[in-house]
Amino acid sequence: MLVRDIMTSPVVVISPDITLQDAYQTMQEKGIRHLPVVDGKTLVGVVTDRDLRLATSALAPAPFPPGGKVSAVMCKTPYTADPADPVEDAARTMREKKIGCLPVVDAGLLAGIITGLDLLDALVRMTGADKPSGRLEVRLQDRPGEMARLTSFMSLRNLNIHSILTYPESAEAIRTVLRIGSIEVRPLAQDLRHAGFDVLWPPEKPWLP
Amino acid sequence: MASVIYHPAYQNYSFGEDHPFSPLRIEMTLDLLDALGHSVRAAEPEPATRADILGVHEENYVNCVEALSAGRVVADCEDFGLGTPDNPAFQGMDEAARWHVGGTLHGARLICDQGERVVLQLGGGLHHARRNCASGFCIYNDPAIAINYLTRQGLWVAYLDIDVHHCDGVQQILYEDMRVMTISLHESGRYLFPGAGDIHELGAGTGRGLKLNVPLEPFTEGESYLEAFEAVVPAALSQFRPGVLVIQAGADAHYDDPLADLMLTTRDYEKIFRRILELAETFTSGRVLFTLGGGYSLRAVPRVWALLYLIIHNLPVPRDLPPAWRDKWNRVVGSQLPRTFHDPNPGYPSISNRAEIVHRNREVTRRLLDAASHYWP
Repeated sequence: MLVRDIMTSPVVVISPDITLQDAYQTMQEKGIRHLPVVDGKTLVGVVTDRDLRLATSALAPAPFPPGGKVSAVMCKTPYTADPADPVEDAARTMREKKIGCLPVVDAGLLAGIITGLDLLDALVRMTGADKPSGRLEVRLQDRPGEMARLTSFMSLRNLNIHSILTYPESAEAIRTVLRIGSIEVRPLAQDLRHAGFDVLWPPEKPWLP
Repeated sequence: MASVIYHPAYQNYSFGEDHPFSPLRIEMTLDLLDALGHSVRAAEPEPATRADILGVHEENYVNCVEALSAGRVVADCEDFGLGTPDNPAFQGMDEAARWHVGGTLHGARLICDQGERVVLQLGGGLHHARRNCASGFCIYNDPAIAINYLTRQGLWVAYLDIDVHHCDGVQQILYEDMRVMTISLHESGRYLFPGAGDIHELGAGTGRGLKLNVPLEPFTEGESYLEAFEAVVPAALSQFRPGVLVIQAGADAHYDDPLADLMLTTRDYEKIFRRILELAETFTSGRVLFTLGGGYSLRAVPRVWALLYLIIHNLPVPRDLPPAWRDKWNRVVGSQLPRTFHDPNPGYPSISNRAEIVHRNREVTRRLLDAASHYWP
């Protein structure tokens, strides 16, 4: 999944010489918190609702008036993403820099924006149960061919895998959570156990004969 | 007095010998009642018409079902959820599915047009079928088609689904309908098929606040299940004031079920069925239409559904299963059927994280009621 797959585009923008009052109003009207600031189509900064609130706060040493210019409070050197960046790279940047959005810049021009909410949407989609499916969770040895062995097992049974999420559990093992397009995941889990897989969900029901 | 609906043609709804959705489930139920001395006298319905089906399903999907049913090859049938491991195509599938819909429709007509009160349709409950595809062993959505009939006659319907799987098809088809409340108690979709049935799925448009989902933790036992049932169902019915109840009485929340993870016993089912009849007396002048549904343990399902029959006819529940019935079906099932009608007690080892399960079910029920009551007057 790439940044271009989850970014918002076209994107609401403002120019550097508009007032803080107008920037605030734009955010309120559109229900957004991040505004790329552009000169023509070139990104020159980012202003967030937090920037506006801090700049105009009565608690600030020298609060800006509502008529102050956006160019005076915006971040002039925002971190940006490329449309072809993997989503996980964008997530890492946002986490490391503790920022809420990344303007997406393509060939020097603003192409879109991603925010924390877009990343949450991506997470929901990647783990997603948006099609009828049941959960299967398997512990695989962390070595070549294990995932292929698991997915071939599904393939031979003509079972559709709607999503796969894997993450390292320990030095030796990875946890794999799959959504399988079938109501018969429990019998599938039994078959996988017989074939030597370490199935964590659904668990065995020892009282069944 | 209760009415029963059944037709031998229901038996043709069969995806093949080793498939879990076996017609044996109904055959064993009828045979058990017979062995107990209650030979079932059922009203025989007509199959639903193509027009009935098209009231809910899209024509290109129905065309696909009909073509496969006639033995023709349909290249893109998997796009319609057919020809899959869950829903293999079989000859005669269109007619077989229309028989089940016809039975449920017949039940709706008995209640609407002939003043019947308690009706048991010994088939149907195919709640996963979508407008444009088959899903989870369900071809045509008989509950939705029958509910639409009832609402057209002016009856507001509360649909209560106790199948272990969420009723995604019924809920989706009726999601914006203000004349229909749906309530589903099921194993949480985080784990179990179909994955839907979260508490935040509350309906849309004028139907907002009328679609209620109680997603229960895996390995929920009867006491916690009944607590959630009592917290949600009476409150919801008293808000909505339905004219009739439609119950999908799937038997797969039983602890012996091979496809799911809830832990109901036959004694829990007895309590649930009796409670539903009480609720019908309180809210719908006794009008209630039961359908069957899921339920894949041949050791448990015939007893659960025979229990439903006995309860609605006010007949006593016997202590033992008839030995002749056991002998006959032990051979077919390939495992030992229990000696007693009710499950042995205890039927399964104690659940290690019971306290956490009970706690989480209470929390999810509370959050559901908080969210839904926001839309109630």
